[in-house]
Amino acid sequence: MLVALGIITLITPIAATSFGAANISFIDVIQVFINKIANLTQANGMTERIVMELRLPRILLAFVAGAGLSLAGSVLQTVTRNPLADPYLFGISSGASFGAVVMLTIFTGSGFFDNAGMAANSGIFSGSGALSGLLWFSLPFGAFIGASLSVLIVLALSGLGLNSQVERMLLSGVATSFMFGALTSLLLYFASPQATASVLFWSLGSFAKASWSLLVLPTLVIGASLFIILGMKRQIMALQAGDETAHTLGVNVPKLRLNMLLLCSLITAILVATCGGIGFVGLMIPHTVRMLFPGRQPIILTALVGGLFMVWIDVLARCLLGNQELPVGIITAAIGSMFFLLILRKRRVMA
Amino acid sequence: MKLSAIQTNSPVNDTNPSLSPSIALNVSQLSWCIDGKTILSNINFTLPTGQMLGLIGPNGAGKSSLLRCLYRFVRPTQGKITLFDQDIERLSPKAFACRVAVVQQDTPHYFDLTTEQLVSMGLTPHKGMFDTNSSCDGERIAKALEKVGLSHKMHQQYEHLSGGEKQRALIARAIVQQPQLLILDEPTNHLDVRYQIQILELVRSLGISVIASIHDLNLASALCDSLLLIHNGEVSAMGTPTEVLTEARIGDVFGVCAKVSPHPQHKKPLISYFYGYHDLTHHMAERGEGG
Repeated sequence: MLVALGIITLITPIAATSFGAANISFIDVIQVFINKIANLTQANGMTERIVMELRLPRILLAFVAGAGLSLAGSVLQTVTRNPLADPYLFGISSGASFGAVVMLTIFTGSGFFDNAGMAANSGIFSGSGALSGLLWFSLPFGAFIGASLSVLIVLALSGLGLNSQVERMLLSGVATSFMFGALTSLLLYFASPQATASVLFWSLGSFAKASWSLLVLPTLVIGASLFIILGMKRQIMALQAGDETAHTLGVNVPKLRLNMLLLCSLITAILVATCGGIGFVGLMIPHTVRMLFPGRQPIILTALVGGLFMVWIDVLARCLLGNQELPVGIITAAIGSMFFLLILRKRRVMA
Repeated sequence: MKLSAIQTNSPVNDTNPSLSPSIALNVSQLSWCIDGKTILSNINFTLPTGQMLGLIGPNGAGKSSLLRCLYRFVRPTQGKITLFDQDIERLSPKAFACRVAVVQQDTPHYFDLTTEQLVSMGLTPHKGMFDTNSSCDGERIAKALEKVGLSHKMHQQYEHLSGGEKQRALIARAIVQQPQLLILDEPTNHLDVRYQIQILELVRSLGISVIASIHDLNLASALCDSLLLIHNGEVSAMGTPTEVLTEARIGDVFGVCAKVSPHPQHKKPLISYFYGYHDLTHHMAERGEGG
């Protein structure tokens, strides 16, 4: 199993790069990579530009997003001891979306969305000038505030609890999600149709806007998060055995739980700000990894599998409709909701 | 003949080598109230180093609450608890967990670990952020598993173990934690009689200070150095099993009629209960005793 995963990991970047609108073959991709590494002069400038400027950042962004969401889901599931936890289902994503949209409206000033639409159209970050500079910081920041707020609301509704039940927490998440969804819709109601359309497309989740500069912040945040999570591995694992057990093993339970929830908010916020709402990845991947690799401590595995999964979902999004792109959020939601029903069913059988 | 063979193997009459005059745990004037209800009031006792203290009392007497105060899961309203002359409030969570290990009554269901992983969780308080398990830790885990007789199950899922095996795995985890004090909350719950004896004898053999709540009075009598009887959140009696377990007290606190006689093997109190409550008064009148 591990060997298979290793092979997939090696092949994925090359294979995934060769899919897409422009006809670039597997061999071409390898050639571009070899040229780059060996610093040779390029034979085909166009191919290299597509590979290096468009497809590679996109694949990397998809990988980082998948890894981040899976990590967040895995940590959420452990610290809330809720097998159905997911940034999307817990309302964190919608909180983050709301925060980001609020920031868009504030910083694009007059006429609400007239300029926001342009900002969103030009890739939210990748536009030029002072506006994009401000947005570069304020969007993720707003998203983080929104995400943290939704976490706090979910916790307040379900009780920062010792025995807060799985279903209760989930319902709180759904309620929070609806609330922020409604608020976002309200903002969009006052915006121009063009802005609304672009925000809508963004909120469905897409990696189409990927560029090297866009990649920096998510990579840093998710790399740092992975580092922290690996450092707290023992404590997180102890929490899995229950609050009281974790306490007897020397874990400061309330502090650890709050910190980890905030970390998950941060990961989610940065990803929502960068590539929109992509749901269910955090639910599916940790479960699948636990099923495929039983009895391991699968933090790195979870991140890796999540990243690979996302890369291939993005390939699917690029190829499914011929010359048109499908938002990845739609695909993950379609697969994820099925998965969700399966887990629910399994839980009922077990109980 | 058979009896004497058992007697020589029994740890009950062993004198504990690590027994020393110093005090492992001292609890003074401990009270705990929640929502205006007094759960524990004015509890005082000491546990000498290396001894095993049995906590007995009827359901709802406050045994688990007292233990939770001892391992700091709840904060008592009043009173002071010292561990080897150190106020436990002053210890960091980590430092406290390096000194005190706990085996709880129930473990949660959602628990996706192998036995070995569960046991290695005992290392948690001893490890820093990025410390990996050394070969020395591996040995410690292997030894602990061997001690509880679970070496052959180390790669199995914890969830798939039997009740007795789960309990032994949790004790192995506590051993890996290398505590000075071991707290057990009804470790013999849900176990058949063989495992009840086995687990308590195992705990005794570790040679560390132990405090355990035990429902079975005969088990507590046979295996504990001293007993603490709690009733309605107060200490009803404290002392050796012979001092604590009298017919009158058992009748008072537990509301049953019992006869106490020396156990044929270890001479500590052996409690025989009487059945059929409609005959009870008749029986007591016949013996000329009160309950």
